[in-house]
Amino acid sequence: MTRKGQMQITETIAILFIFFILLLFGLLFYFRYQQAAFLEKQEEALGVRAMETTLKTLFMPELICSRGEAEPEDNCFDVLKLNSADAILLKHLDDYYFEIFSYATISVRQVYPEQKEWILYDKTKPDYTRKEPTFFVVTLRDELAAQNQPQYGFGYVAVEVYS
Amino acid sequence: MPHEKIGHIELTFNWIYIVIAGAVILLFFFGLVVKQKQVSEERLSSEVVQIMDSILTGAGASEKTKNFIDASGLADYTLYFSCDAGISEFGIKDRPARTQDNVDPLFAPKEIHSSRIVTWSLPYNLPFKVIDFLFVIPLNVKYYLVGNDAGFINEFLNSTEGIEREFLIGLQEIQPEENQQVRIIDTDGSSILGTGVPAQLQYLDDKEVSAIVFTGKNNVDFYQKEGPAWRKMNPAAIRIISLAGERDAARYAAIFSADDQTYWCNMQKAFKRLEYLTEVYGGEEIAAAEPGGKLGSLISHYRNLPNSECRSYLEDYDANALDSLADINNKVRACQQVAESCLGLVDAAQKMKDVNDNLRIYCVPLY
Repeated sequence: MTRKGQMQITETIAILFIFFILLLFGLLFYFRYQQAAFLEKQEEALGVRAMETTLKTLFMPELICSRGEAEPEDNCFDVLKLNSADAILLKHLDDYYFEIFSYATISVRQVYPEQKEWILYDKTKPDYTRKEPTFFVVTLRDELAAQNQPQYGFGYVAVEVYS
Repeated sequence: MPHEKIGHIELTFNWIYIVIAGAVILLFFFGLVVKQKQVSEERLSSEVVQIMDSILTGAGASEKTKNFIDASGLADYTLYFSCDAGISEFGIKDRPARTQDNVDPLFAPKEIHSSRIVTWSLPYNLPFKVIDFLFVIPLNVKYYLVGNDAGFINEFLNSTEGIEREFLIGLQEIQPEENQQVRIIDTDGSSILGTGVPAQLQYLDDKEVSAIVFTGKNNVDFYQKEGPAWRKMNPAAIRIISLAGERDAARYAAIFSADDQTYWCNMQKAFKRLEYLTEVYGGEEIAAAEPGGKLGSLISHYRNLPNSECRSYLEDYDANALDSLADINNKVRACQQVAESCLGLVDAAQKMKDVNDNLRIYCVPLY
């Protein structure tokens, strides 16, 4: 092989080397971007899930203040239902309610007339990396607290979802 | 070897080398583009399913809402809905993205290929609110009402504004439009039974023409066009499990269901929720008529007020809340095993409703 030929081969190898280095940089950049986009998407999805879980909780027939056949009261939970709903939700957690709430913790905290808390649903994701809390103000109707008419308390529902 | 010949070989070798290397690089980029296209399509279809899922969650959660969705972006796709063994599924046809649900009853045609979709939710009460039924109605389906049940026909026409529907004196008046599917609603069984498919609908594809017929005491039958005749799809009559009345969600669900199988499959979801709700109202041991839950709290409270009429309506009278709720719980559990057992649910729910009306007059109602 001539010296010229050897030079050409070395030149080609150098060009290929630079080309693949550039390609590698390109791929690295692309995958980094994809990773960042994926994380952003995950965060967005978690936010959406938090909102959906709160929405589902607010309209749950197990908790709402019903009024016979009329439309239920808005953003109101029935205290007498709250007292027993946690046990039923826990009993059917894996076979039913997990499908509705997935990994989440749902609690109702009464702040007036007295401090009180009901943990309705608690399914924490093992080794979760993110937690998104959402709060929503609700009224709490207690039909046995006062004579002849229901008494309304005030509190909030706290929903935490995990990913 | 002469120098000239060596130069020729070197030159040819260089070209072959360049061509092979170029082809490999081109192939690499071509593969990357194809893979990326595939990934983008999958991502798009999964995003569509996710967005649809969010829309359906929102629509299902807030009762009595009707949403008009512009789905022109989905014009190239066909959405499919199915339900089997209590698990419904929807997604984009021939795409991997899909979502399954065993909680929310969703009533829709088997396939939707329309640029406008209406979602409508109605609460299902038996007798207390059980769950919201969600109807997905494409605007390329036209509903023709026939029969003599004037009350229901007026109610349907008033409550379904924005949906393609029309009342006909007789089936001979039917005038289907282009690119439209047809569903005939025979409100009392006087128009479809014993007749063939109207001549004006003969040219339409079999799967584009269907009918449902309400007969007897809240029975419903599903029919599909098969050439010039109607083919009954359900072997036995399907009973509408509801307390009737206005905006009867179970009745509307039949109208917007693809067939008897998807209708009953989604009704089963409601029955499962009803079972758990009776436990919230009556406690875990309600099946054995042992009070707990909200009912237990009411009974404990009124036991301390001996002169209260309430206590009698809660547990003493022949028709009392405790026995009625226990009856619903037992019937709904049986109903999930054997469809025929569901019939008893209507009577049990009616009794519970009557007791609750009395409780409302004298003290605190259960629901």
